[in-house]
Amino acid sequence: MRGLAEPIQSTRAASAASGRPLIDPATLMSIKNLELRARVVVEGFWHGLHRSPYHGFSVEFSEYRQYSPGDDPRYLDWKLYARSDRYYIKKFEDETNLRCHLMVDQSRSMSYGSLACTKAQYANTLAATLAYFLSLQGDAVGLLTFDERIRDYLPARHRPGHLRHLMIRLEQPPAGNATDLAAPLHRIVRTVKKRSLLVLISDLLGPIGTLEKDLTALAACGHEVMLFHLLDPAELTLSFDKAVMFRDVETGRQVFIDPVTARKGYVQRLEAHNLNVQIACRRLGIGYRRLTTDRPLELALFDFLRERMQRGKRIRRRAG
Amino acid sequence: MSFLAPLFLIGTLAVALPVVFHLVRRSSKEHMPFSSIMFLQPAPPRVTKRSRLEHILLLLLRCLVVCLLALAFSRPFFQRPMTASPLPEATGRAVVVLVDTSASMKREGLWAQALDRVDAALKQTGPGDQLEVLIFDRRVRTVVSFEQWNQMDIGQRAALTLARISDIKPGWSSTQLGGALIAAAESFAEADKEGRNLGRRQIILISDMQEGARLDGLQGYEWPRGTEVQVEPVEPKRPTNAGVQWLAANDDSANAGTNLVARIRVSNSANATREQFKLHWADIPGAAPSDVYVPPGQSRIVPAPPLPANAIGERLVLTGDDDDFDNTVYVLQPQAEHVSVLFAGDEPENDPAQPFYYLKRAFQPTSREIVEVTARGSSAELTPTDLAGARLLVAANNLPDSRMTALQTFMAGGGTVLFVMTNASVAGDVGRLADADGFTADEITAPNYALLGMVDFNHPIFAPFADARFNDFTKIHFWKYRRVDASKLPGARVLAKFDSGDPAFLEIPRGNGRLLVLTSGWQPADSQLAVSTKFVPLLCSILDLSGGIHSTLAQFHIGDEVDLASLTPAAITSSLSVRKPDGAVVQLAAGETRFSDTDLPGIYAVTSLQPAVRFAVNLDGAESRTAMLPADELQRLGVPMKAREIAVSAQIEQKRRLHDSELEDRQKLWRWLTLTALMVLLGETFVAGWLTRRTAVQTGAQS
Repeated sequence: MRGLAEPIQSTRAASAASGRPLIDPATLMSIKNLELRARVVVEGFWHGLHRSPYHGFSVEFSEYRQYSPGDDPRYLDWKLYARSDRYYIKKFEDETNLRCHLMVDQSRSMSYGSLACTKAQYANTLAATLAYFLSLQGDAVGLLTFDERIRDYLPARHRPGHLRHLMIRLEQPPAGNATDLAAPLHRIVRTVKKRSLLVLISDLLGPIGTLEKDLTALAACGHEVMLFHLLDPAELTLSFDKAVMFRDVETGRQVFIDPVTARKGYVQRLEAHNLNVQIACRRLGIGYRRLTTDRPLELALFDFLRERMQRGKRIRRRAG
Repeated sequence: MSFLAPLFLIGTLAVALPVVFHLVRRSSKEHMPFSSIMFLQPAPPRVTKRSRLEHILLLLLRCLVVCLLALAFSRPFFQRPMTASPLPEATGRAVVVLVDTSASMKREGLWAQALDRVDAALKQTGPGDQLEVLIFDRRVRTVVSFEQWNQMDIGQRAALTLARISDIKPGWSSTQLGGALIAAAESFAEADKEGRNLGRRQIILISDMQEGARLDGLQGYEWPRGTEVQVEPVEPKRPTNAGVQWLAANDDSANAGTNLVARIRVSNSANATREQFKLHWADIPGAAPSDVYVPPGQSRIVPAPPLPANAIGERLVLTGDDDDFDNTVYVLQPQAEHVSVLFAGDEPENDPAQPFYYLKRAFQPTSREIVEVTARGSSAELTPTDLAGARLLVAANNLPDSRMTALQTFMAGGGTVLFVMTNASVAGDVGRLADADGFTADEITAPNYALLGMVDFNHPIFAPFADARFNDFTKIHFWKYRRVDASKLPGARVLAKFDSGDPAFLEIPRGNGRLLVLTSGWQPADSQLAVSTKFVPLLCSILDLSGGIHSTLAQFHIGDEVDLASLTPAAITSSLSVRKPDGAVVQLAAGETRFSDTDLPGIYAVTSLQPAVRFAVNLDGAESRTAMLPADELQRLGVPMKAREIAVSAQIEQKRRLHDSELEDRQKLWRWLTLTALMVLLGETFVAGWLTRRTAVQTGAQS
């Protein structure tokens, strides 16, 4: 259950790091412009990062360089110094050698939202935030939106106007019915030849067998994959009290559900599903983060970077 | 508290409905979109626990409404003791017991049942009751009148009356039920006239209520007030009854001399269980029976079975049904009558220019009659025998003096002479026959042609032509005729006139007979009369008037009055005696020709006539229709039927119910209950509205 405990720790860490209240997603969603929302999140994140013990991280660790006077002593690698008794400065990649592809699920199930924002809005804002953040760092960002088929594809680029195009594509409402990862993954595998970072944002509401198969195919291509499993708080707990006809927004099927009686079984089945996804991700080396739409987006960004950092450590450890 | 319709109290069980509805959690029609229902299990609406009953006040109000409505429908009322006596008052009755003695009552066991019913009716009479017993078939006869009943000793009344009626047996007559019922009602009226104090009036009809009973007169009869008819039907043990009827041949179309095959109608009763019967001649050895198939309720007309050569069958018998009373029919073959018509004249038979040619051919022999037209030339004598056998004498030319006397004698004796004036010179003969000396005629040749302008259709000769279909004489053109002065003929009656106003046909009564004068001949030289369609009917009509043709209908029904004079052409001079089928001889009074003692089926013979005249008397065919009358037939005809007697306990119960109904109607508690239910419903609506508003406010506050 380590996975479940992680977001809580991250929240605390992020709160402690920023020292200012995080922006509630509901408040954030009141900003109509997606780009502006992304900027608010990222700037808020940067703003807090100055006081954070984790500041100075970049997305891509590049190399060690021998210390020379005048270098910022904050980037000295003390652990390396302890091992080698020499001063080394950690050098981060500032160039656009990171390609990130944001894969955003836009199926009908993403249009569900029990709170102020839907999962789709949240996913779009998250994708926009990541794109903006990476863009600021000079990384190339691409976008692929999909439901049961691919709706939009923007190749990863870093050039003026690209971010704007990306935002416009993200603002399109969800239209598809089902969630099918196979088609977008196949497209990505076929298109993206260079090693890239693939960020998948989806609610993963589909049969676990198919999902696992698709994720395996993705991981097998050698890309670095990170999965944001996005869920609505009401989906997690089935927090309704009225017995009503529940209509599946994807299939249109209707069933009469009394939440009081159905809740226990539902939560059990959902948790089992989530756990299966999580296990699959761990087995495949896919970074897994579960998000709920009430979680501040700064924390999601923080999760992203943290995941990147932990992955970096793992790589270093493996290299060392 | 009592209830008029307590079964409606079961409706209070419906109080369970609001309770169940309150227990059932309302399943919302609301739809909630959800991202995916793949982890959800459908659940039926569930019933909350009893302890979770919501809105108790509403529930109570709804239950109250149901109870009040059930109570209102059960028509409650407060019981009060009955004041009137529940038993009907017992008063003296006037009872007419009407017993059917028609032929159909001869069926097995019916008469015994009828006597039992009479006995039962007699036993029900009280000392204050008055009783009359009538029997009826075609006529109504009194067995015991009210007066005789009152004169009897009270203790002996029933026994004496039963003894009298036990002596009676059903006859052979048909059933006149309508007349009998009216006669029974009239007997009450007669008793009233005599000042006898009658109480409740009751007619007890004991009959087999057969379908063939005649109900004439009932339709428009106004029944005396207070009269009621109680029917006590007697039923046969075995229902199948087939009857036979002889369809007497009354037509003249058959050729003379042919032996007519008797046609028999075999009818089967509607409730019969058998449909195959056999018909055979009785008393004829070697006569083969014939099979007859008649479905129930239908009739078939079949020829009588063939007879052996030279055998004469008079009694046909039907076998195969349950009752024999109507299975025998008596048949008489009709005998053609010989009628003689004399023509006084020398005309050759085969000269078509002469009237005799047409007269000879006018009368064709038929099965009923054979008319022989004989010419008597002036050289031949008209013997008294000739005249006695003749019914009509036709003259067309001058008559010798010797014949004048004979003709006058013939007319005086009732004969008819038709004088056809073929020329003006015969006027003198006509005058002499009519006792009008100096009677003359003028020969008239019509410039174009003459027509019959006036015909007296009231006269028996022209009466058959009175119908609009036959009264057109304009097709007969007269070229020549003789103008005569009718006023010069004493007592002459002009039966037809030409369009010029001159008489064409006259009748002069002479003694018992008559002289008919036709002022134009029928031969082609004078007119078209002989070749017209009116010629033969006219001659037949004249012959009929002159007593030449007699009714040969020799079949009568039981009870019919038979005019014996119509059966024989001979004059009846002496008193008649009739031998009945049972061998008894009935002597009629002198001059009496009507015989009414036809009370037995069979062949009757008038023995005093030579040759003996015979006629058959059969059962009325309606008697064979023995199926029961429809139950409501009498009621439909306005007969005041008595409702079935109900037991005293049932009467008390009926009375009590009536009393309860009146009480409930007076108190009308159901109205108040319904009003209260409506008020409670209003209150319920108010409370429900208030609760809904409160819930809405709370929900709003929570959200």
